Amino acid sequence: MPYEFIALFMFATMMLMMLTGQRVFGAIGFVAVVTALTLWGTGGSDIPFSAAMKLMKWYPLLTLPMFIFMGYILSESKIADDLYKMFHVWMGPLNGGLAIGTILLMVLVSAMNGLSVAGMAIGATIALPELLRRGYDKVMVTGVIQAGSSLGILVPPSVVLVLYAMIARQPVGQLWLAGIVPGLMMATLFIIYIVIRCRMNPDLGPALSEEERNVPLATKLKLLRAGLLPFGIFAAMMVPFVNGWTSLVESSAIGAMSAFMVAVVKGRMTKIVFENSVRQTLLISCMFMWIILAALGFGAVFDGVGAVKAIDTLFTEQLGLSPWTILILMQLSFIIMGTFLDDTAMLVIVAPLYVPLVGALGFDLIWYGVLYTITTQIAYMTPPFGYNLFLMRAMAPPEIGLVDIYRSIIPFVLIMMAALALVMIFPSIALGLPEYVYGK
Amino acid sequence: MTKFMFRYVKFVDAINYRIGRTAMYGIFVLAGVLLWSSVSKTFFDPSLWTLEMAQFGMVAYYILGGPYSIQMGSNVRMDLLYGSWSPRKKMWFDSFTVFFLMFYLGVMLYGAIDSTAYSFKYNERSPTAWRPYLWPIKSIMCFGIFLMLLQCVSELMKDILHLRGEEI
Repeated sequence: MPYEFIALFMFATMMLMMLTGQRVFGAIGFVAVVTALTLWGTGGSDIPFSAAMKLMKWYPLLTLPMFIFMGYILSESKIADDLYKMFHVWMGPLNGGLAIGTILLMVLVSAMNGLSVAGMAIGATIALPELLRRGYDKVMVTGVIQAGSSLGILVPPSVVLVLYAMIARQPVGQLWLAGIVPGLMMATLFIIYIVIRCRMNPDLGPALSEEERNVPLATKLKLLRAGLLPFGIFAAMMVPFVNGWTSLVESSAIGAMSAFMVAVVKGRMTKIVFENSVRQTLLISCMFMWIILAALGFGAVFDGVGAVKAIDTLFTEQLGLSPWTILILMQLSFIIMGTFLDDTAMLVIVAPLYVPLVGALGFDLIWYGVLYTITTQIAYMTPPFGYNLFLMRAMAPPEIGLVDIYRSIIPFVLIMMAALALVMIFPSIALGLPEYVYGK
Repeated sequence: MTKFMFRYVKFVDAINYRIGRTAMYGIFVLAGVLLWSSVSKTFFDPSLWTLEMAQFGMVAYYILGGPYSIQMGSNVRMDLLYGSWSPRKKMWFDSFTVFFLMFYLGVMLYGAIDSTAYSFKYNERSPTAWRPYLWPIKSIMCFGIFLMLLQCVSELMKDILHLRGEEI
């Protein structure tokens, strides 16, 4: 049987299995196991378990539960409240200032956790009601929160880049550094968009009223202290790591425990907060780990049949496409897939196929990690199936309907696509920082 | 038969609930090991055992927590079609497709037992400076995967009981 055919067959079966609504890891694992047993008989039976052993030996994966835990502590204990107040007071007098403040808030929250859930929770529960009360346009602010929280997976520490690093066999540290500049660039683009929109139409984001603006300078300065929190946590994590005292994994534990301590000291670690964050950490970690486990098995079978080489030859030699055309086609198909596939699933399904192909085409895998993450961000937000869309609907106040949420993301998705194109055209946006730090 | 299914569901769910709730606090054990690792590295001689201990802890954490996560329904499904079905239709589909999941877990368990037996027979050690024996963690993995299977059967029974109109 030709390898292209086996590869195609594996993917088609997996899609079909997932359509039945069975748990994603079951669908992926089943296809892997059946293919392995068909191709290699009983010799294929150790594939799922050796995937588990491989997973165990992959050290950076330990950061995953730590960052998930950190994210839940942040969103459940609401220790980021003051942070919002700080931006509120400082940015309020501007037209659209609160929306800009929300984006900045999201950048700081992103620097403290690796998923978009925490940003989403903080945005929807703290920022959104305030913004609506002050007459901000609901479609715009919904978009702001979704776009802002998606930065969580691009700005370090990023869980998505950890997963990518595992599949692409690239160093996590370099990938994280590569994510910083594109992340900040994207945040800047969002802010520019908000400023321009609010200039053209001040009703979208009215400035704070006279009496609300009248905050004494002393209070204003006092609120600045809130900003110390994210820097403190970020520094506690990053200083030992950058100085080489601790490894990345150890730093993640320091980060998680310092967030925990801050919550305890601030008196926010109630029984409910503790229970929710510890339980959710287990459940979300399990969800990720079992999917990765199944996907690793799938990847092993895929490697075993030489599927990547076969697809590479198919594209470059038989269809005669240039590497860049293939790359662009891949990103497009990724975005399209993201609109109808579950995002977590997409992450682990697409990567084993795309990443080796990108490597075979001769592109830099660190650079592709950034492209991959931005594309995932877009996929997170595009209807009909986006993780952020569902979260938003679950968390937003009732006056925000599904149609509002769908409409709200359009400009931001366009901005993200522009950012994607920029990083593609100018790879140094992503690669400049890691090259500088590691002195390549 | 119905009575047996009720008993089974109650028993397995209770066991997996307790084990999952215990594994849940493993996050603090993990963090503790890693913190000790950073402290010992910075101030004294680095410990040899921390890295692998953390890895073993992580594996135990997600393998033993897995059945509880199934109980809580937190494993993602692709809901393109599934999301819009009625509860009854979902249960009908699940009653069949859960066998795919069980087949996967079964093959994994087969491989796990094979590999654990090997570890016992040859006293297999990890090829690192600490050289821990591998059979303890592999046994935990076998046990966890077995619990996953038990939980899948319990889910299947719950679906069947529901479809028959029984109250759980």
